[in-house]
Amino acid sequence: MNISYRCKIGISLIASLGLALFMSGAWAASYSGVVKVGLSTSLSGAAASLGQSGKKGIELAIAELNAKGGLLGKQVKLVSVDDQLSPATGVTNVRNFILEDNVAAIFGPVSSSVAAAEEGIAAQYHVPIFFFISNDVDLTTKHFTKYAFQVVPNTYMEPHAVAAYMIKKGWSRYDTISPNYSFGRSTVKQFLAGMKKYGANINIVGQQWPKLGESDYTNYIPAILSKHPDAVFSGLYGGDLITFTKQAKGFDFFKKIHNNFYALFTMGALKALGKDAPVGVIAANRAPFYAIHTPGMSLFSTAYHNKYGEWPSSWAVMGYTAVQTWSQGVEKAHSLAGNKVSAALSGATVKTIRGPIYLRACDHQGDVREYVGTLSQKINPKYGFRVMDHVYAPNPKKIMMTCAQTLAMQPH
Amino acid sequence: MYGLTQLFSGLTTAALLFLVAAGLTMIFGGLRIINVAHGSFYMYGAFIVSSLVGTALTSSAHATALFWTALIVAPLVVAALGALTEYLVLRPLYGREHLLQLLATFALFYIFTGVSLLFWGGQYRSISIPPMLQGHLTVLGATLPVYNGFIMLIAVAVGLFMWWLLQRTPLGWRIRAAVEDPEMLAAMGTNVRGLFTGVFTLGTFLAGLAGAIVGPTQSVTTGLGAQILVSAFIVAVIGGLGSVAGAAIGAIIIGLSQAAGVLWAPQFESAFIYVAMILVLAIRPSGLLGVPEQ
Repeated sequence: MNISYRCKIGISLIASLGLALFMSGAWAASYSGVVKVGLSTSLSGAAASLGQSGKKGIELAIAELNAKGGLLGKQVKLVSVDDQLSPATGVTNVRNFILEDNVAAIFGPVSSSVAAAEEGIAAQYHVPIFFFISNDVDLTTKHFTKYAFQVVPNTYMEPHAVAAYMIKKGWSRYDTISPNYSFGRSTVKQFLAGMKKYGANINIVGQQWPKLGESDYTNYIPAILSKHPDAVFSGLYGGDLITFTKQAKGFDFFKKIHNNFYALFTMGALKALGKDAPVGVIAANRAPFYAIHTPGMSLFSTAYHNKYGEWPSSWAVMGYTAVQTWSQGVEKAHSLAGNKVSAALSGATVKTIRGPIYLRACDHQGDVREYVGTLSQKINPKYGFRVMDHVYAPNPKKIMMTCAQTLAMQPH
Repeated sequence: MYGLTQLFSGLTTAALLFLVAAGLTMIFGGLRIINVAHGSFYMYGAFIVSSLVGTALTSSAHATALFWTALIVAPLVVAALGALTEYLVLRPLYGREHLLQLLATFALFYIFTGVSLLFWGGQYRSISIPPMLQGHLTVLGATLPVYNGFIMLIAVAVGLFMWWLLQRTPLGWRIRAAVEDPEMLAAMGTNVRGLFTGVFTLGTFLAGLAGAIVGPTQSVTTGLGAQILVSAFIVAVIGGLGSVAGAAIGAIIIGLSQAAGVLWAPQFESAFIYVAMILVLAIRPSGLLGVPEQ
């Protein structure tokens, strides 16, 4: 058979076009009527409780999105995998999401070091990535890419919010205890910077740096008490904070320092501690459902409780808002394409259950609030744990880095 | 009396480390196996107590009774799991190279961690200290939490029991003989395989007991076993792997050097225990009471 040259060209053109279409995620997605999104987080190991909880928030958001007809007429499907707290595993997961699952968006991990490793891969393939648990300020400064968005108060904002709260107390002699790794060191540094920025003149009488995951604080507790501080700022959280609290109680620590102790008492820690959670100490929480009074939050917390039989942690709340952020980006862009969604979200304000969140064009950090308060006298009968009283949530503008600061730190 | 308070704290750390390291070093002494899964047995001890005692919200009188029951039941359950592990996994590996045994216990560590997630989930758990062991004592002006005193008492009791068992009973005599020359012991009619199972079971009982005792001072979660294992290994190595008395001395050295580190150089405190280990091993490479391998 003799095929003409023109015919050959035509056939190869059609074949290659077909192949290209077949290979493209957009085609696969539109053909199947399904759009996939990826969640690579810590589902096992030391941070599993955070990762599992965040996943529940994301699943609920997607289920509700699908019940309302999906996004741009497509059902949203979540693909989730465990990163085992390892940056290498996180990178592999993200690459698989993009190359094999053709995901339209990625929801980020627990650990900031994993997040930093994933951020570049997402940008390389023009897929938006949303950080809602990991909160290193470097993710929106030193490692900034236009595809990354952060909807959690970062490591600059949180200690500055605590400083804004504590400065009002007028304490001058401070001791600090914080885990000896990047987060622990930076949270203390930023807290002290915040105190200075807001005009306090404080005296650091002692600093303790136990290792992350320390199981024995019996040596540190008397060391702090011996310095007779007015107040103690701690970067302890999660399991470390539970262990510290239990051991400190034996020394009457909280009573001796008049409850002038700050730590990130998250819901997981408060639930585990129950009545052992110290009354009156200062706590912070990134998104406490019970202290955020919006109609969306009450609907969400009820739906979450009905679905999972427990109240949502801040990780679940922030996971839910991450999905809300992405879906509004898609609607605004009228497209699932990563570059269009990212452009639509940059400098935009999204409506979330935590209220409107403005995603700054300069660094894509959401102007989210940090909540600081004191632990309640009574265990809340409805929720089963001590909640925060007298909650103070400073205006995000007060606690955020300025755009000039972040721009100076970003890669050029 | 801050100095004395700090001394008590150092001794509490020592007691806690000894409870974990005693079983670890005994298993090495008897079986010549470095049991990486020891931390898992410790973790299970704490998890079982948390399941039996319930959440931190349980009423106090009921919780106290449950606590004492759990303190006995948890180590026994862990010991049964230990016996099963020895029979199914370790028995085929005796006489094989150390690396293979190490890898097997390493694999067990991961398996036990996965199983704990299935049973207990990834949430933090907390065991309430019973009312009679709450609060603190004032000794010569120094503060000693009652529960820390309780941990020290248990550690001393375990130490004395181990000394009596190994030095004063026919069973202890056989265990020591099995280390020296298992063939000869078998030829004399001792069931060496059964003896090994017994040693491993007792070692895991001690791990379970340590987890049960220490559990109420900690957040009980999946990572628990890994945290303590490193420190317990350091204690066992300083004391001389295989020597229970050595583990006691090693625990006191580490406990006190950690307390001294926090007191004098908090910036470098985490390096103190490693410095202590390097110093001891530089002078006595087999550990304080260890016997050089032949």
